[in-house]
Amino acid sequence: MRYAILLMGAPYSDQASHSALRFARALLARGHRLEAVFFYHDGVYNAARLSAPPQDEPHLTDGWVALHETHGVALQVCIAAALRRGLMDEREAARHGKAGHSVEAPFELTGVGQLVDLSQRCDRLVTFGP
Amino acid sequence: MKLHIVNRSPASHRVHEQALAAMGPEDRLLLIEDGVQGGLPQLVRHFEAIAGRLYAQREDLEARGLLGRCDGSVQVVDVDGFVQLTEQAEHTLSWY
Repeated sequence: MRYAILLMGAPYSDQASHSALRFARALLARGHRLEAVFFYHDGVYNAARLSAPPQDEPHLTDGWVALHETHGVALQVCIAAALRRGLMDEREAARHGKAGHSVEAPFELTGVGQLVDLSQRCDRLVTFGP
Repeated sequence: MKLHIVNRSPASHRVHEQALAAMGPEDRLLLIEDGVQGGLPQLVRHFEAIAGRLYAQREDLEARGLLGRCDGSVQVVDVDGFVQLTEQAEHTLSWY
C-alpha cells in the first residue's frame, strides 16, 4: 500500500515526531511504500538543519533524512508554516534578505496543495498530532 | 471500518469523548502515547461502549511502566500491529 504521514507535532516538545518515525519505519518494514511525510504546523521544526540534540538522544532530523536516503521518502515541509517560524531554505532566505538558511535538501518547502495531493493518491494518510 | 487514534489520557483530556461520538459500529480505537492510560482498569470504563474494539500500543505502555497493567478487554498491539490496523481500516482519524 502507499502511505503518507502528516506530522503536526514539534520535535522534543511532545511525542508525535517519535511516534511518527517509529510508525514510518514499521510500515516500510512491512513492505509498504511511504510516499511522503508532510510536516505541518509545529511539525516543520523537524526540518531544522541546525538541530543538534544530545548524542545519546534520537536525532529526529537525521532519522527523517535516513528514510529519504534508504526508501526515497519525500520530506515535504509546508512553506507557510515554515517561513513564519524562521525555517527557510537558501532561496527563501535570499528572497527575504536573511543571512542564513535553516532548511536544506532532502527537505523541500512546498504548499499545502501537496498534502491534498497526497491524501488523494495514497491509500492511507496517518496523522500524528501534538 | 475506520481506525480512530487517541493520544490523550481520559484522566486529563476529554478528546476521547469526541472520538467515541464519531465512531461507527465497526470502527476501532487505538490508544497511543499518553492515551494508553485509558486501558488501565481504573479508566477503561470510558470505553465501555466499544468493548472488543479497543487497542493500546505496547511500546507506549512499556515506556510508561504500564505493560501488563491493562484491563483484560484491551488488545495490546505493537507498532507492527498499529500498521496492520491501518491496513485493515479504510481511513484513519487522529484525535489529539
